[in-house]
Amino acid sequence: MLDVRGLSLRYPNGTQALAGFDVAVGSGELVVVLGGNGSGKTTLLRCISRTLSPDKGEVRVGGVDLAQLSGEKLRRARLDLAVISQHAALVRRRSVIANVATGALGRHDTLWTALGGLPADELTAARGHLGEVGLDHLARQRAGTLSGGQAQRVAIARALAQRPRVLLADEPVASLDPEAAEDIMRLLKRLAAEEKLAVLCVLHQVELAYRYADRVVGIRGGRLAFDLPRAEVSREAVHRLYLSEAA
Amino acid sequence: MTDGAVPRGAATAAPGPWSALISSAARLAVLLGTLLVIVQALIVVQARPQDLITGVHGMADIIRRATPPDFSHINTALWPALETIDIAIFGTIAGIIMALPLAVLAAANVTPSRPLYYLARGVIGFTRAVPDLVWALFFVTAVGLGPFPGGLALAVHSIGMLGRLFAETIEHMDMAPIDALALTGARRLQIFTHGVVPSVLTSLAGISLYRLDENIRSSLVLGFVGAGGIGFQLLTAMNLFQYRQVSLLLIVTFVIVLTAERLSAVLREKLA
Repeated sequence: MLDVRGLSLRYPNGTQALAGFDVAVGSGELVVVLGGNGSGKTTLLRCISRTLSPDKGEVRVGGVDLAQLSGEKLRRARLDLAVISQHAALVRRRSVIANVATGALGRHDTLWTALGGLPADELTAARGHLGEVGLDHLARQRAGTLSGGQAQRVAIARALAQRPRVLLADEPVASLDPEAAEDIMRLLKRLAAEEKLAVLCVLHQVELAYRYADRVVGIRGGRLAFDLPRAEVSREAVHRLYLSEAA
Repeated sequence: MTDGAVPRGAATAAPGPWSALISSAARLAVLLGTLLVIVQALIVVQARPQDLITGVHGMADIIRRATPPDFSHINTALWPALETIDIAIFGTIAGIIMALPLAVLAAANVTPSRPLYYLARGVIGFTRAVPDLVWALFFVTAVGLGPFPGGLALAVHSIGMLGRLFAETIEHMDMAPIDALALTGARRLQIFTHGVVPSVLTSLAGISLYRLDENIRSSLVLGFVGAGGIGFQLLTAMNLFQYRQVSLLLIVTFVIVLTAERLSAVLREKLA
């Protein structure tokens, strides 16, 4: 579903953030990316979501190369690709259900949605997505009142409202306590399987990767260090990812 | 502490006699500078405290002639009082309507283009720099005496005051929800109405209420240049030496200002 080939990016300050990086994620698969600080994990996700433009390479989602698109074509192609990050980034003053339904805005080009309205069918669907993440009882609550774990679940429900084929998760559990982190990872794993989503998730918690990933991808210095099924990833290989570049 | 231990702060060089002397000289310079500013202000305003003492009789005479307030004229004060409040309401609402789109253009994080940003900043700066009293003089000349020029004056001045505060509120908002909406594939206008507006609406409402409170106070004075309201009544009564009516109008003014201030504060508290 997601096929990244030869992705390269050099920042204006000369840092080679990505150097010919390859990764593929199939439908229903949860792939975890591990790597040290500054290894290029977040840059990889930002290049895939095209908030950064790569210098070289392909980002294919369902066969369409996002790296070649811009403007309206890119916006339309992005509908297949949802992003969640460390912070839930909800509109705090809106209700939970309204936040979820905004995930569907990209599919609606009506005056009603342009003026701040939400389609009735999307509000109904949003309640269903909230049910999927176990928070339908909080639908009418203001988003600013949620706990970190609840807010992250709502962000995932908003991503589901987008009806994506690929879900990119950039350190989704970084600001959560261990129990909430486990909850979110279980949810991502379940959604990947049930919704046939291709999930690419950047993590710092190695243990979570060992427990929930179908495959683990290691990144070091912007290059692919390994891409292996979870059971074949050695502790030593992971340890090497976190050694300094000079070591 | 062991013998070999270095006392805390020992690595920092002790201030020498020169640095102490420079520090004292700097303090003296600041003190002299402050005194100079105060003295020049006293000279420029030709402050003569003795005039206050010799003028006590005059003030006492005015107070004597202004008391008791002439409550028999309360009915004639009610309409101008309502006019004063309505000038402020008109000015604030018209100001909000014009300031909102300008603020969006003048907020660096959401403006659609750089030239529009500078144009909006220019309009906001100009309308704010010119005092509402000057705008009132301008509109009295343009549309004649009455409350309408007063409302227009407050509206134009409010564009500047509200436009700046609205733009700053938008600039300081959390951009994460906006970026998240952009990533869902939402269009620009949808991002604005579903992300920016709900995020800043409460703050903008609070600022608008505060502006209404300010405009009520300003509209009291606008009557002095013929722009309607209770100020016009006040000026007329003073010119006709009807001091008991003046004191009545001042009481009405006091009640209006205090009520508006309390109401605005309570509503802003509820919004927070």
